[in-house]
Amino acid sequence: MHEAPNLSALPETSAPAPVITVDGLTKRFDETVALDNVSLSVNRGEVLVLLGLSGSGKSTLLRHFNGLETPTSGEVSVLGERVNRLSGRNLRGLRSRVGFIFQQFELVGALTVLENVLSGALGSLRGPRLGLFGYSRELKLRALGHLDRVGLLDRAYQRADTLSGGQQQRVAIARALMQNPEVLLADEPVASLDPESSTQVMALIREIAAADGLTVVCSLHQVDLAISWADRIVGLRHGALVLDTPAEGLSKAEVMEIYGRVATPTDELEAVNRELVGA
Amino acid sequence: MTATLVTGGGRPRGPQGGSTQHTPGDPARESLETRAPKRKLDPQRIAAGVSLGVIAVLALIALARIDISIPGMFESVGNAQRFFERVGGLSFPEPAKLLQLTVLTVGLVLTGTVFAAILSVPIAYLAAANTTPSHTARAIARFIGVFTRALPDVVLAMVFVLLFSLGALPGILAIGIHSIGMISKMFADAIEQIDEGPRLAIRAAGGTKLQEFTVGILPQVTPSWVATVLHRNDINLRGSVILGYVGVAGLGLEMSYAFKSLNYGLGLGIALVIFVLCVAMEMISGAVRVTMLGENAGKGVFVRLFSRRGSRPGARASVAGGAAVGAGSALAGEASVAPVFASPVFASPEAALRRPWTGARARGVFFGWLAFAVVVAGVVVSEINWGDFFTFWAKLPPVLASFWPPNFGSYGFERIFFAMIETVEIALAAALITFVVSMVLGSFAARNVAPNRAVSGGARLLLVGIRGIPELILAIVLIVITGLGAQAGTIALAVGGVGLLGKLIADSLEEVPRGPERALIAVGSSRTQMFFGATLPQGSQALIGHTFYLIDTNIRAATLLGIVGGGGVGYYLLNAGQGSNYQLVGSIVIMILVTVLLVEGLAMWMRKALR
Repeated sequence: MHEAPNLSALPETSAPAPVITVDGLTKRFDETVALDNVSLSVNRGEVLVLLGLSGSGKSTLLRHFNGLETPTSGEVSVLGERVNRLSGRNLRGLRSRVGFIFQQFELVGALTVLENVLSGALGSLRGPRLGLFGYSRELKLRALGHLDRVGLLDRAYQRADTLSGGQQQRVAIARALMQNPEVLLADEPVASLDPESSTQVMALIREIAAADGLTVVCSLHQVDLAISWADRIVGLRHGALVLDTPAEGLSKAEVMEIYGRVATPTDELEAVNRELVGA
Repeated sequence: MTATLVTGGGRPRGPQGGSTQHTPGDPARESLETRAPKRKLDPQRIAAGVSLGVIAVLALIALARIDISIPGMFESVGNAQRFFERVGGLSFPEPAKLLQLTVLTVGLVLTGTVFAAILSVPIAYLAAANTTPSHTARAIARFIGVFTRALPDVVLAMVFVLLFSLGALPGILAIGIHSIGMISKMFADAIEQIDEGPRLAIRAAGGTKLQEFTVGILPQVTPSWVATVLHRNDINLRGSVILGYVGVAGLGLEMSYAFKSLNYGLGLGIALVIFVLCVAMEMISGAVRVTMLGENAGKGVFVRLFSRRGSRPGARASVAGGAAVGAGSALAGEASVAPVFASPVFASPEAALRRPWTGARARGVFFGWLAFAVVVAGVVVSEINWGDFFTFWAKLPPVLASFWPPNFGSYGFERIFFAMIETVEIALAAALITFVVSMVLGSFAARNVAPNRAVSGGARLLLVGIRGIPELILAIVLIVITGLGAQAGTIALAVGGVGLLGKLIADSLEEVPRGPERALIAVGSSRTQMFFGATLPQGSQALIGHTFYLIDTNIRAATLLGIVGGGGVGYYLLNAGQGSNYQLVGSIVIMILVTVLLVEGLAMWMRKALR
């Protein structure tokens, strides 16, 4: 039920305040360990990339931040709330403050673009909504503003499934903005897009994060993109945290090194890689 | 290789003298025969196969016992001629009365169907695997579905006629409750087929379960739900004639009065009116489907029943995707592949607040309000006596008590039991005829099987025409004209079934992968060899599924056939109801329930076993 992130009310301290803290998080699905004792803290306004191969636990970690997954053990705090202890209305309240962008956009194809953007406001509304009549003029105006911001105002009344992949992802970003989020989570946002759309979408996220002072956690598997885009890079492998470094000033050699530690699927390959880097 | 084969071929191995014993370490001497893996047979598949054979044999026996003789039929055509000479042609009620009866019949069917659709939404939500809150809720919802589907609407109408003042309300409630079974099942299937992503996105944005449903699920299932409701409405209109026999107002009641007073001309006249009405309704709902659903008609068997094959869901999308031009965006000049197509350009978000009126929007709004008006009109013309809802509670306990304990009255168990057997025989015999005819007609209607487009097009057209025939009306007309009971009923049921099964078979055959067919053509096989070698084996599973669906619906229809004189248990049901012998009604209903549930259980098991 909040309208805008009240940044000015936060106490100005020399040490940056953590927005997300993860402490000893372990997640098991039956026999497989998806996350293995991960600890991490993300500061306000940081743009962080989770780097790793598919199956390394990036998505699972992201989904713990808004309570779509619950930990097997450990604690996750987001915006001062212990996510794993929330339920019902309180959990929905937290989710409405955290935007989430999916790899497959996850728009309702049969609805108009505008209705899809408006659905981002559901967390702050009571009761179900059917059609455009269910939303106030003010909300519609805000939604159209967000659509304008992502460059798709003209598409407001088209069916969402008539848009290209890159356009759909921008609608999904507008939907997340509709939540007035303080934190933006993005799960492989460009993995289903062509290179040109990818560049646009990543630039858009970065631009919005800077303008609105958002904290962003984005999972990616492309090392080059991560280095050029992020403030900070965290690497995951087999569910364990193997890397945590500022992105700025990373060199090509270091990229190779990161690649060896993050993206190598087997231990033998990793050993070979270490030798190569050492040589 | 050849040598091994020859030397090993005739030599017995092992104590059994057979070739099953394997001698390790001596591979050169092993014959190909012994080394070849033995075919593993799943006992469940064997059982299912045997059951399939048993059912086929039973159907043959049933067909023989019902004794449909071709000369007999020709003879009865002569009967028909004499019959019409005696009756002196068709007659109809007064135009004003006819109009009033027609409006009332359509109104009560529509209201009943809408009533069922509304009640089906929560039941489907609880019954669908991906939305149900718990296993218990799911079991209860599914039980409600199976139970209401198995309970014939005639029986419900009999009970409601006792509870409510005469008129349309008993019919509405009977249609409404009976239809919940099928509608809620199809609704739940549609929910289970949705893309979960959008729903997850609503959850991630802090939406409630209810919001997940209205925004994430409902838009996805709407096409399939609309198709289901329209289809059910057609079925209910066809079935409404039977309700007249137990006192529900409308054309059916008028027709039963006419037959009872031996006014055959009037009865057949009304039957013709109902016939035309059913065909008209089928055409209207077909038009509604095309208008509302277009090519994005969704999934599900009932959507497929009405959609033309070969339409591509994506065809529209590419036309509608225009390019964003001009708008002061952060990302102007994006790459767009689609052509510019009537995309409105808004100067500002304020300007975009008003949704522009496009042809599609105008049509949508118009038909939306029209549909709403039709439903409201349906409720209004049904002249529901709302006061009944306050008074019927007092009547409920004594009425329910009058059905208990079930007994078989003066008929005795055996007589009713054999009537039930006759009902099953009619259903099986009709299914057999339908299957044979549909195999031929359905195969020729499939484009990949038919020798040319003219044949497949003609066969399709024939199937559509047959599907328009309401089988119950056909049964009534055949029974009255030929004077035959079970034979006429079987033929009516068989004809009605061809429209359904033929279409489903044609679609299943067209849907098989084309590769194997091309491969057989490439090795030089004939079209017939291709059909039996590639098309039929690939489509056989779907074929068996559809046939069991047909048997299932036939059993339900056959129980009602007796009410109009088509043989079987329905006759005793009607008699018991009219003689106020509700304990007998109760026992017959239990018998019908058991039979229907047994067949449904068997069909479910067969589909699973032969997968």
